[in-house]
Amino acid sequence: MRAIDWALLSTFLPLATALLLVLVSPLRRTGLGAGLVSVVSAVATFVGAVMVLASRFGAEAGVVHRTIQWLPHSALGGVAHGRGAIELGVHVDGISATMLVVVTFVALCVQVFSIGYMAEEPKADFGRYFTWQSLFLFAMNSLVIAPNLLQLFLGWELVGLVSYLLIGYWWKKPSAARAALKAFWITKFADMGLLAGLIVLFLATGTFDWTVTTAAAGTVTLLLFVAVMGKSAQFPLHIWLPDAMEGPTPVSALLHAATMVAAGVFLVVRAFPLFEQAPNTLTVMAYVGSFTALFAAVVAVVQTDIKKVLAYSTCSQLGYMVCALGAGSQAAGFFHLTTHAFFKALLFLAAGSLIHGVHSNELSHMGGLLKKMKVTSGAFIIGSLALAGVPGLAGFFSKDLILEEVLHRGLWAPLGALLVAAFLTAFYMGRVMWVALLGEPSEHAKHAHESGPSMLAPLIGLSVLAIGVGYFGGTLSGLYGEPVHFHLSAIGIVATVLGLSGLGISYWMFGAPQGGKAILEAFAPVGRLARSGAVNGFFAWSYRSVMTRVAAAIGWFDRYVIDGLINGIAYGTLEAGSRLRVIQTGRVQDYVYVVVAAMLLIGLYGAFWGR
Amino acid sequence: MGLIGYLLLAAGLFSLGVFGLVTRKNAVGVMVAVELMANAVNLNLVAFSRFHGGNTGQVFALFSIAITVAEVVVGLALVILLFRARGDVTLDLASELKE
Repeated sequence: MRAIDWALLSTFLPLATALLLVLVSPLRRTGLGAGLVSVVSAVATFVGAVMVLASRFGAEAGVVHRTIQWLPHSALGGVAHGRGAIELGVHVDGISATMLVVVTFVALCVQVFSIGYMAEEPKADFGRYFTWQSLFLFAMNSLVIAPNLLQLFLGWELVGLVSYLLIGYWWKKPSAARAALKAFWITKFADMGLLAGLIVLFLATGTFDWTVTTAAAGTVTLLLFVAVMGKSAQFPLHIWLPDAMEGPTPVSALLHAATMVAAGVFLVVRAFPLFEQAPNTLTVMAYVGSFTALFAAVVAVVQTDIKKVLAYSTCSQLGYMVCALGAGSQAAGFFHLTTHAFFKALLFLAAGSLIHGVHSNELSHMGGLLKKMKVTSGAFIIGSLALAGVPGLAGFFSKDLILEEVLHRGLWAPLGALLVAAFLTAFYMGRVMWVALLGEPSEHAKHAHESGPSMLAPLIGLSVLAIGVGYFGGTLSGLYGEPVHFHLSAIGIVATVLGLSGLGISYWMFGAPQGGKAILEAFAPVGRLARSGAVNGFFAWSYRSVMTRVAAAIGWFDRYVIDGLINGIAYGTLEAGSRLRVIQTGRVQDYVYVVVAAMLLIGLYGAFWGR
Repeated sequence: MGLIGYLLLAAGLFSLGVFGLVTRKNAVGVMVAVELMANAVNLNLVAFSRFHGGNTGQVFALFSIAITVAEVVVGLALVILLFRARGDVTLDLASELKE
């Protein structure tokens, strides 16, 4: 089979699985049976993705671009200026091949992990969970292999839908239902930017290609970036991501850490030829991304829920990627996406295993878990160190590359923000490690026990990649551009020192008893601000005071102007009818009078004026 | 006597019919007036036919007579039903349809 066949297999096999589980409800209700079907399909999907990536090194390494016509040009009603039709298809190059492997591998790990993690769920719910997991894989892969931005948009909306369904998996819990709605609304709001951008692009160029050169690139990319801010949780549209942690932890690992939220970054990577034509958009991205990286890192420091720490950390790391892309480096942004997907999925799954052990998300309910859950803790430590940028692990290479690029562009303010964020990243991950894994065991933690093999195996697999993938940066970036050669630069040393000192200070403050309390108190105002949820508050305020007033005004207009117009027409008709009915006497001769008079008038007209 | 004489006679008959139509209260009287008007038309047709030398007008007159017969049948049926319903055929009183 050729690359295109493998790519189609990894896209449509999950769809077939999802359809099977949707339509054959007895299979879905078996629970474990549905899970196994889904996992087997995920394995095949992963194999397909690996074959696609392998083809990049083989004989047919060129870009594969194959499309079918979906809407012919004649169906577009002249909008396209005779330049094109709407197409669907497959685009295999280094970017999509790498992304396919990342997505399918993490999805496979998450599905295997879920078999153990969700084992206590009711059988029907368990089956529903795996149905959505398979559907997600289809949606994400169809986004990844998209040959144009329109198909990418379709996949984009589908993953948004699955995200909504999976966040609201425990829909009976009001907070989960609300979080699902919040995620849906905010990302849909942002997606309007994507739709608008596509329309502008199509009107300007008549295609949905990202390779096209157009004068409208500035407008288009800014609109696309709005969608990126929603999907990839950039300030101020990040507020849905922490709430999305209401979903099951494996879902957070797959959708809200490794793959779906990275779709925004992927969009920029994919459409980079367009973004390169718009230097102003890139600058905006660099600033928004670096601010998000710093802001989310600050907020992550004060979270007490282990998943919330990781959620804000994801925001922060996505900020890194966006900033790297804003600095004009496709390779740095995409490479960090790749490494981040592995170590953040690892962190989330390990956190899920910890949560499974102590039955609580709260850091204060954990403590001393290193002794009880050795493998999980080891995996968590590897993920944390990779995230903190400790030399030798994946995060170190990609973060260093980003900092170098940002330095190279002379973006000083973003560079400073990223360096502080690097320090804070190490600091908050250190805090979690010292408190959850080493600190004094709490009541909950005393009865903790190691998770089963189906949960540990994915952790080990992801740990290997969280360590190893950093060494393949050059190879992977060589698939779609100039290979990046890693060399330790001054800025890399600074970042490493900052990261290590972050870990050290966090040990001094949280690991060692009675250490560093004074510093904690000195930063109390920052902590209060970070805990206050000011951005959420702003949105709630703007909803209450602006949106509801606009809605009230529109409601008034509808009730009194629109309805008034309609009611006026109806009243007028009734009134005219009752006035006119008096000429209907019911006597035949009256009508005959009128007929004869009219006939006479017509005759007179014909005789004298009509000639 | 030329064509004008026939046409004047027909116009007179037709005016008589219209006068009867608007003045008679009795339904049978109204129908007689309608017959007068129809026959004035037939007279016209035959007269034109005679003076133009074609047969079309005569054929039309025969056709018109047949239709008038059908009309009279329907009209008389209505009159009989009206009489059965209220024992009276004065048209002014049959005005319920205006409601």
